[in-house]
Amino acid sequence: MQKPAVKKLPFLGFGLGLRTSHYETVLAELPSNIDWFEILSENYLVAGGKPLYYLDAIREHYPMIMHGVSMSIGSSDPLNWNYLEQLKQLADRVQPAWFSDHLCWTGLDGKNIHDLLPLPYTEETIEHVAGRVRQVQDFMERPMLIENVSSYLTYKDSAMSEWEFIAGIAERANCYILLDINNIYVSAFNHEFDPYEYLNFIPVERVGQFHLAGHTNCGDYIIDSHDHPVIDPVWELYADAVRRFGPVSIMIERDDHIPPLNELLPELDRARNIAQPILKEMAA
Amino acid sequence: MKRISSLQSQFQSAILTLGDEFDDKIVATERVGVKQRIGIYADAYRLRLIECLQDSYGALYTLLGDDEFDRLCRSYIDTHTPYHYSVRWYGDRLAEFLGATAPYREHPYLAELAEFEWKLMEAFDERDVSPVTVEDMATIPPDQWPHLTFGLHPSLRHLELAWNVAAMRSAADEDRDPPAPERSDQPVPWIIWRQQLRQFYRSLADDESWMLDQTQSGDNFAALCEGLCKWKGESEVAIHAAGLLKQWITDGLITRIGT
Ligand SMILES: [Fe+2]
Repeated sequence: MQKPAVKKLPFLGFGLGLRTSHYETVLAELPSNIDWFEILSENYLVAGGKPLYYLDAIREHYPMIMHGVSMSIGSSDPLNWNYLEQLKQLADRVQPAWFSDHLCWTGLDGKNIHDLLPLPYTEETIEHVAGRVRQVQDFMERPMLIENVSSYLTYKDSAMSEWEFIAGIAERANCYILLDINNIYVSAFNHEFDPYEYLNFIPVERVGQFHLAGHTNCGDYIIDSHDHPVIDPVWELYADAVRRFGPVSIMIERDDHIPPLNELLPELDRARNIAQPILKEMAA
Repeated sequence: MKRISSLQSQFQSAILTLGDEFDDKIVATERVGVKQRIGIYADAYRLRLIECLQDSYGALYTLLGDDEFDRLCRSYIDTHTPYHYSVRWYGDRLAEFLGATAPYREHPYLAELAEFEWKLMEAFDERDVSPVTVEDMATIPPDQWPHLTFGLHPSLRHLELAWNVAAMRSAADEDRDPPAPERSDQPVPWIIWRQQLRQFYRSLADDESWMLDQTQSGDNFAALCEGLCKWKGESEVAIHAAGLLKQWITDGLITRIGT
């Protein structure tokens, strides 16, 4: 049986994470080298005030994608429909081309650890998560992307690699993957695998977006802290990803020690300068 | 499902209560052992919540300083697990905790400052409703005035403060040293609200505070005037009440006039 073709998601170009400290600058300068913004959905699940005011104002000028941290898609708790209801209302407001959350769980018994906790890589988990992604995707009526997280531990139960796990879920749920290049690098270091093996296994048509970010190297392990510029080996991995996956929307995440906007723009230009020649070559 | 839920339950309690039942479920490498791997998650959990409390309680944080605030957060975290999907709500019980727990309860201004800061945060992202203008008010014929009722802005918070905690917060917002805690003879009524995107707070005289409460409960203008007779002569109450209303309208506090 032939697999149905997966529709490639649109290429939005080179984006940044929208951060409170940049609201004013963005509106005053409308920088043209930012193609789109990724918003952290939870920051806008509020009733009113500044967050929604700036959201609407900036949305008038830029495409936006919604990125969440609280779906807990891998938890054995039931899905939080109250959360999903609000997420859908936000999506009606923002009209994102897609929305994403992490391939992880964030709590059990109604508790919220507010962290992206890894899952055991088993058939059982694939089945469980894929079923839930399908439900969420049907409810949201928009394509969903699941993001690979940085992780610091591996379960003895895991019976496959992370790349087989995430690819397996994407196939079975018929969803897309948000490939975080830095997270691949971080987890490859922490669990001693080859990041290129990871990249080369992921089905090309499933990848809808990239993330790039900086991290903190603690010597024996690396923490995904989003508080530094992207490092050279991650840029190299990114170049390879562009060669493999072609034109995929990409954004740079910065969540801590956030510098003024004009200090982040050269990093975005660097992504552009790496990707554009490769994409041109591929198109030729 | 059974296997994954038991693993998640053990992982979660390893983070929350630092037990060791999860240890033998995960892989150690030569470089990083089991304890250290779980420890990364257990530490991150606490640090993230501390950071959230620092954001919600800027003035309390300044007042207590790094070490003392850290100690406070850790004992709050030990007794309060987050349930909401947004970390923004995590500190909702801090004022209550400070008021009930030693040694903090011996310094009642701490609980009061926390309550004040929490309400400020509530006002920050409360619903937007467009306020009534002075011009709207002017179009109402005088014979309707006695029957008018008034809707208040959803961001409005009305509270009583016995301590100078508003001054502590202003100092923190402006990077000044906080004033020493000072208790007033009588609790003072305060309001917190948001006008468009800006937040405001100010103290009220007792008559204005009373009138605000009664407005909230739906009293009409005639009833408000009658009640204000406790503070003003009968001949001046209408003017006085109209003056307070005009101030509220200018402040963006009135969102609806009912006739
Ligand atoms: Fe990411």
